[in-house]
Amino acid sequence: MKNQGSLVQLENVAIGYKSHTTKVVKSGITLEALPSELVAIIGENGVGKSTLLKTLGGFLPPIEGKLTIGEKSVHEYQEKELAKILSYVSTEQIRVPNLNVYDLVSLGRYPHTNWFGKLMTEDRLLIEEAIVAVGLQGFEDRLVNNLSDGERQKVMIARALAQDTPIIILDEPTAFLDLSNKFELVHILQQLARTKGKTILFSTHDLTTALSESDRMWLMLKDSIQQGSPEDLILNGSFNALFDQKKLNFDREKGDFKIRKTTTRLAIVTGDGERLTWTTKALERNGILVADH
Amino acid sequence: MKEAALTYHNPNQRGLKMLVLLAILLPIFFLLDLRIGSYPISFSDILKALFNPLNLDNQVFLIVNQYRIPKAITAILAGAALSVSGLQMQTVFRNPLAGPYILGVSSGASLGVALVVLGTGSFIGWESISLLSSWGIVAAAWLGSALVLMLIIAISAKIREIMTILIMGILISSAISALVNILQYYSNEATLKSFVIWTMGSLGSVTNPQLSVLVPSVIAGIIIALLCSKFLDAFLLGENYAQSLGMNIRFARTMVFVSTAILAGSITAFCGPIGFIGIAVPHIARIMLQSAKHSLLIPATILIGAIIMLISDILSQLPGSQRILPINSVTALLGIPIVIWIIIRNKSSVNF
Repeated sequence: MKNQGSLVQLENVAIGYKSHTTKVVKSGITLEALPSELVAIIGENGVGKSTLLKTLGGFLPPIEGKLTIGEKSVHEYQEKELAKILSYVSTEQIRVPNLNVYDLVSLGRYPHTNWFGKLMTEDRLLIEEAIVAVGLQGFEDRLVNNLSDGERQKVMIARALAQDTPIIILDEPTAFLDLSNKFELVHILQQLARTKGKTILFSTHDLTTALSESDRMWLMLKDSIQQGSPEDLILNGSFNALFDQKKLNFDREKGDFKIRKTTTRLAIVTGDGERLTWTTKALERNGILVADH
Repeated sequence: MKEAALTYHNPNQRGLKMLVLLAILLPIFFLLDLRIGSYPISFSDILKALFNPLNLDNQVFLIVNQYRIPKAITAILAGAALSVSGLQMQTVFRNPLAGPYILGVSSGASLGVALVVLGTGSFIGWESISLLSSWGIVAAAWLGSALVLMLIIAISAKIREIMTILIMGILISSAISALVNILQYYSNEATLKSFVIWTMGSLGSVTNPQLSVLVPSVIAGIIIALLCSKFLDAFLLGENYAQSLGMNIRFARTMVFVSTAILAGSITAFCGPIGFIGIAVPHIARIMLQSAKHSLLIPATILIGAIIMLISDILSQLPGSQRILPINSVTALLGIPIVIWIIIRNKSSVNF
């Protein structure tokens, strides 16, 4: 694979918007992502996830600090050069009449084809490979407008794959999807990172899938940014800082958040297996603490 | 190594078949358009005029050669140019109702023309306009179109909503009409009459010397459009995606707008503002081809636009009568039902 040494590295970066005045959204960001890693970017709304992704994608220049993509700093790239290293899937829903799946995925070949966009055999092989990788073989002639949200998101990922870049960035790829599609999609991303050696970064609000599939997490907190494997972040208590601790409580054993409730009564439950787990859950919902015994 | 064979073998078969069909239909309608007119001329005489003029009555030859052929060629050029500029505008603005007429680009062109024609008072009738002033009028129309396009870019950078931009286009058109009205108010009667007739749109007033300006202009605009087909495909996904695919947005947009301004401006300069072809034809092309690829859509809109303009011209002759309708009315009556259908479909389904 040609992905040796290609990675994303942020050293003391400040992100934000520069127009008449500079608005810094977040500063002092030091993070990295390695080849073959699936990186989940987690954080509350408004904490700067989208700004970070736009900066990583080259749409916004970093206000200060050093952002290295592959071997160079991000602003040293020409548009076309960057497009061969980094592909981007945004939250925007694509609705184009009469555009079929094959033609949309083939747009991923844009930086590699000639002036007229002529597809050579190699291009067509990569397009087909990308369609197979997201499990959409047989959908080539289907119109994008007639697909479900999950299918359309897979097409957009196939387009990024066809771009054949060592780094893929996705902004909330699971936002419009139902539960089973969320798991399936994140699993596809994880497989792609493993089998193709790509660095895949995605932002999400869905902790469960991120915890089970990602190799690394970038945890964007209000006053700091943590990174590490999901397991390390759980064990060192970083997750508790993610949400308002007065309202939510992170269960380290189950890897999930719970709304904090004042418990007034105590109960002792005996039993085992699934029945015990779910009975305990029902009691807790009603404000009754179940004692360990 | 890659040994897997390609499994997908359907690179727009339907599109290519449609292009062949359209390419066959075009000469048929061209001949029909030459055939129909107030003076009856048989098909055999038309073929003689085209290929064997020596064996033909001189008067018939003159009608065909000096009047009907330039008119039919103008129809083809106008249909092709307006449709391609409409296609490009719809893609770049991501707006199914964009077109040179509705967004005021044609008005911009007519302001350019009005400034040259009414302003300088050199308007003595189209036939007497020299080659030099033909180029002057065309250039003024290009500038006018480009000006309006830049205005619309500036507005659409702030406002994303499709309908709002359309209303802006209508307002721009109205403002320009007001300016043109002022110019008209201060011009003499003869000039005024010629200008008013020009605003109704006409294919028949284009003379052979003017064609020598119009033909290269339209061909240049179409060549630039074809060179932009890859840019246009990327524009379908929006500017962010286009940029992430490595496209230089500024350069691509400039190329597309130069082509649009040349195409819409040239036609408006010589034929007057012709509406609704630019909006309707790209939709017909997309539906016929079931494709969104511009390398196919541009040739298809050229052919469909040319055919529809020839049909409009035939209808404007009111076959069987001695009267002629203004071409602008015919294209409006043909095009507006299609535009209404697009709006209804737009509201009721996911398309665009």
